[in-house]
Amino acid sequence: MRFVRLSLRQAHYNLVAYTRSARTVIFGVLMPVGFLALFNSVFGGKFKTIPVGGHNISTIAFYTGGLTTYGVMLGTFTGILVAIVGAREAGWLKRFRGTPMPSGVFLAGEILYLFVTSLGLIIVMLAVSHFGYSLSLPAHAYLAIFCYTVLGVFAFSAMGLALTSLITTSEMAGSVGPFTVVILSFVSGVFLAPNLLPQWLLTFSSYLPLEPIVSGVQHAIALPGGSGLMLRPFIVLGIWGVVSFVIAQSNFTWEPQRH
Amino acid sequence: MSNVIEVAGLTKRFGTLTAVNDVSFNVERGEIFGLLGKNGAGKTTTVEILEGYQSPDEGQVSVLGVDPKKGGGAWKDRIGLVLQDSDFDPSHTVTETVKLFAGFFSHPKSVDETLELVGLTDKADVRIGRLSGGQRRRVDVALGIVGSPELLFLDEPTTGFDPSARREFWTMLEGLRSAGTSILLTTHYMEEAQHLCDRIAILAAGRIVAEGTSTSLIALTGTTTVRFNVVHGLDVAALSNGAGIDFHVAGDVVSAALVSAQSELLRLLQYVERVGLELDGLEVVRPTLDDVFLDVTGERT
Repeated sequence: MRFVRLSLRQAHYNLVAYTRSARTVIFGVLMPVGFLALFNSVFGGKFKTIPVGGHNISTIAFYTGGLTTYGVMLGTFTGILVAIVGAREAGWLKRFRGTPMPSGVFLAGEILYLFVTSLGLIIVMLAVSHFGYSLSLPAHAYLAIFCYTVLGVFAFSAMGLALTSLITTSEMAGSVGPFTVVILSFVSGVFLAPNLLPQWLLTFSSYLPLEPIVSGVQHAIALPGGSGLMLRPFIVLGIWGVVSFVIAQSNFTWEPQRH
Repeated sequence: MSNVIEVAGLTKRFGTLTAVNDVSFNVERGEIFGLLGKNGAGKTTTVEILEGYQSPDEGQVSVLGVDPKKGGGAWKDRIGLVLQDSDFDPSHTVTETVKLFAGFFSHPKSVDETLELVGLTDKADVRIGRLSGGQRRRVDVALGIVGSPELLFLDEPTTGFDPSARREFWTMLEGLRSAGTSILLTTHYMEEAQHLCDRIAILAAGRIVAEGTSTSLIALTGTTTVRFNVVHGLDVAALSNGAGIDFHVAGDVVSAALVSAQSELLRLLQYVERVGLELDGLEVVRPTLDDVFLDVTGERT
């Protein structure tokens, strides 16, 4: 099918750009891996477990799950925001619009590529934790993490996409994206143990799009038994994703924004 | 149908500004048609309406028999675009970029042939980020022609080219034309329009103020001019009387517009020969499209 073939080509094109850009490799891989090593080394020996949602989770599992999800959000949410705003600013989107390429191909290629780089990041992060900090995953965790990745890439890229209607320059995209993810991470059990936060903030962040999936991934990594999947992340991120997608669809522009 | 583009009564307004005002013209199959005008004359707005990027406020537009606003993938497959400014991902090579675009079209040219046509064969494996401005512009043109379009839109394609690159570019467009491609070109280089275009429409403040072949446009306004330098002791009044030509002095140059060039020149030369005058830096200048442009747009000072 032509659409699939063109989307795969587009994704490949994006992947090539990814591997050739020092910036994406540094921010996309080295930074999450660096954080993982740092947090595991600092807190791994200090606390054996951290309480998350009624379960005590090993510190290594806590940081591996949290920082991996943080890396996926940073990569997809910021990635799609910067890519689309940049391509629009440069007239690249307008150029595509003038070719017989079906308009969904650009987006499909972008999301597919972000999914591949997200899986790549997850493999690297799990390998670092396994070989560096002797984390071993229960068997069900792999399928659970895969499902969470599909969910995360969908929701985070839809959110990034929705934001492209507000953000007009790639310079702005490059700062708003990471800033949002970092702030969100502080209240979502990525850098800080949830029991350090006040209750109202915990309640609030459970409706935001990062905390539910972070806690889902942490549980899947840490707890044996069951499918490793929780319903809550799929409901909360599903709503964020669908609403964002609807917003994106009605506000998306191909032409460079004059300002 | 012999017209690839038909425009009738096209009008486009932005707020209180009428960017395109009752413009009508046709582009025939196989010709290079030039839209000439200064920045802000309405060239790009007109072209973007034809490309389907903007909607007209009034008038009818048909491109390859289709209303551009309703043109779908099959229509876009027959058209090539070179927009005024678009940039590409700097990390990909020229070949990779052209290949990506080739995949969008149903009958693409080969990448090699495309690069050959735009003169980028020796830059095929160079990343876009390392190319000069003129070379990037050629990549842009390569992306416009790789789909073997029937109709090619070129919006100020040679801006930023050096003179020799511009010459090569013209040769390339002439090659495309002889292969049957119809081309709509906008430019503010008179020389380019005069050299390339089969027919030209001059736009000023959103209106077409003149249209025709460059020869017919020049004939429309054109008067031949004779001029030479002022030298010490030259009596311009006496010369005007003697030769029966009305000379003007502007700075160091004496000049006159000739109504009937051949007989007036003969009179002038016979006169100076008789009185033993040597005219310094004598030249007879044919009007160019520049002169036409300045005349019809009312820009002549």
